[in-house]
Amino acid sequence: MIAMLHSVLLKSLRDVRRAFVWWSVGLAGLVALMVSVYPSVRDNTSLNKLVNDYPEALKGFVAFGGEIDYVSPAGYLGSELFSLMVPLLLLIAAIGAGARAIAGEEERGTLDLLLANPISRRRVALEKLAALVAEIVALGLVLFTALEIGSRAVALDVSTWHLAAATASAVLLALSYGALAFLIGAATGRRGKATGITAALAVAAYVLNGLAPLVGAIEPLQKASPFYYYAASDPLREGLAAGHVGVLIGIFVVVAVLVPLAFDRRDLAA
Amino acid sequence: MTDVVSLQGLTKSYGPARGVVDLDLTVRSGEVFGFLGPNGAGKTTTIRTMLDLIRPTSGRALIFGLDTRADGVAIRSRIGYLPGDLRLYEQLTPRELLSYFGALRHMPTLAEAGRLAARFDLELDRPVAALSRGNRQKVGLVQAFMHRPQLLVLDEPTSGLDPLVQQTFYELAREAVADGRTVFLSSHVLSEVQHVADRVALVRDGRLVLVDSVENLRARAFTRVEVTFAVPPPEDAFEGLPGVRVLTRRGDVVLFTLGGEVDPLLKALARHRVIALDSHEADLEDVFLSLYRSDDRHAA
Repeated sequence: MIAMLHSVLLKSLRDVRRAFVWWSVGLAGLVALMVSVYPSVRDNTSLNKLVNDYPEALKGFVAFGGEIDYVSPAGYLGSELFSLMVPLLLLIAAIGAGARAIAGEEERGTLDLLLANPISRRRVALEKLAALVAEIVALGLVLFTALEIGSRAVALDVSTWHLAAATASAVLLALSYGALAFLIGAATGRRGKATGITAALAVAAYVLNGLAPLVGAIEPLQKASPFYYYAASDPLREGLAAGHVGVLIGIFVVVAVLVPLAFDRRDLAA
Repeated sequence: MTDVVSLQGLTKSYGPARGVVDLDLTVRSGEVFGFLGPNGAGKTTTIRTMLDLIRPTSGRALIFGLDTRADGVAIRSRIGYLPGDLRLYEQLTPRELLSYFGALRHMPTLAEAGRLAARFDLELDRPVAALSRGNRQKVGLVQAFMHRPQLLVLDEPTSGLDPLVQQTFYELAREAVADGRTVFLSSHVLSEVQHVADRVALVRDGRLVLVDSVENLRARAFTRVEVTFAVPPPEDAFEGLPGVRVLTRRGDVVLFTLGGEVDPLLKALARHRVIALDSHEADLEDVFLSLYRSDDRHAA
């Protein structure tokens, strides 16, 4: 017997092992690039003025939670990595994995054979969801490790705890959307639908969170955006806020609970 | 003793044309049951209901006396299944795929899978992506048989197999039945199952047309006898013989069909000089086609 094929969970992890290596290389490379530029940013206070002169409409998208302060260590990492690139990449990884998990296997036609085994749909769904969590958490660990090593190397002074807090917040955000893509895929069997709807919702929530502080009409809606709970506690300076973490975990749990309900009762595509 | 498969008023509706309607069917322990019908008749729909991959609109399917909706896992632990539209994990080798399913079935060993692969002459270590259609089908058959299930549910099992491999499959089916296990297999051509099946059911447009033993069907079939005469016999030479009918005559060659014994025809032929005599075994395909047609008349 082959160890990595002992369960649906392990098989799912085995399936992504090559992609995971490339994602890791990409994330670590991005961190290395951004961090290596920091020494030349640190003493260049004119950059702060430049960023402060950005149109107000853009500032919400450059900030990660607190004030921008581009040349400070936390401000720099926030603007260059955590305001867009890190959540973007983790969301792409998570939404892709979520949509592939059930809908992808169903569209490729292997789900019939898998579910002919004495294993319940609920069990298959939960193991695949666990694999998604493991994959994204592992990517988070890679990201965190790269940040920790990189920031030490260039004396970019953000504490280990704050790096971990920002990474954890990004992982939780990605997991909410990954679970949503998983749910839509499990409910419809359509990978394209799962990816498309989830990505559209994520973009809308991102824009809402960035613009809400400026537009009175939508300001109260900011708290409906998961991106608010990702960034608002200013994780790189202040760490995590239990309430915000709770909301992100809550979204994941609610979506995850719906998965077996949606998957259990429907006909599988032939 | 409970029936291995019992479909009770099984109905599955999709659009106007597909699905199955009010299907009642039982499969007994230890038989090979052929489930026949043209493509699109509802065979795959019925089979996927038995595996709980799709759910009946009304009625139910009992396997080993258990309801497919309530006890799917327990049922599937005793079933080996080959899908009609077989898709395998492209990135795995057959060995890896069998190992995966073996683990999901908590099989302590893959020895039986190895034996089956050897009988099919299946190479286990080339990626599925590089396998021909016939070899993929072998992988599908091995995974269906490898845990020695009590019920084999096989959707078009011989499609893509060359005749020699088909023989291996028929042997396996017979061995399973000799072992007291049950085989339920579908096909759109009778000739594929008539040598192995004990009973057959015919479905068309989602409805059951007939269930009967192959033996009875064969008895309904006519034997064809082609006789070449030295001199064309008179038109009325074979009239009034019990069970004998002249199907065609082309000069000195006459084609007869026999409904019963061959004796009356032989006695009549003895009065003529016969150059050649050729007899064809009952062709069940023709019986089936005639059943289709008679059902058409019936329906109309």
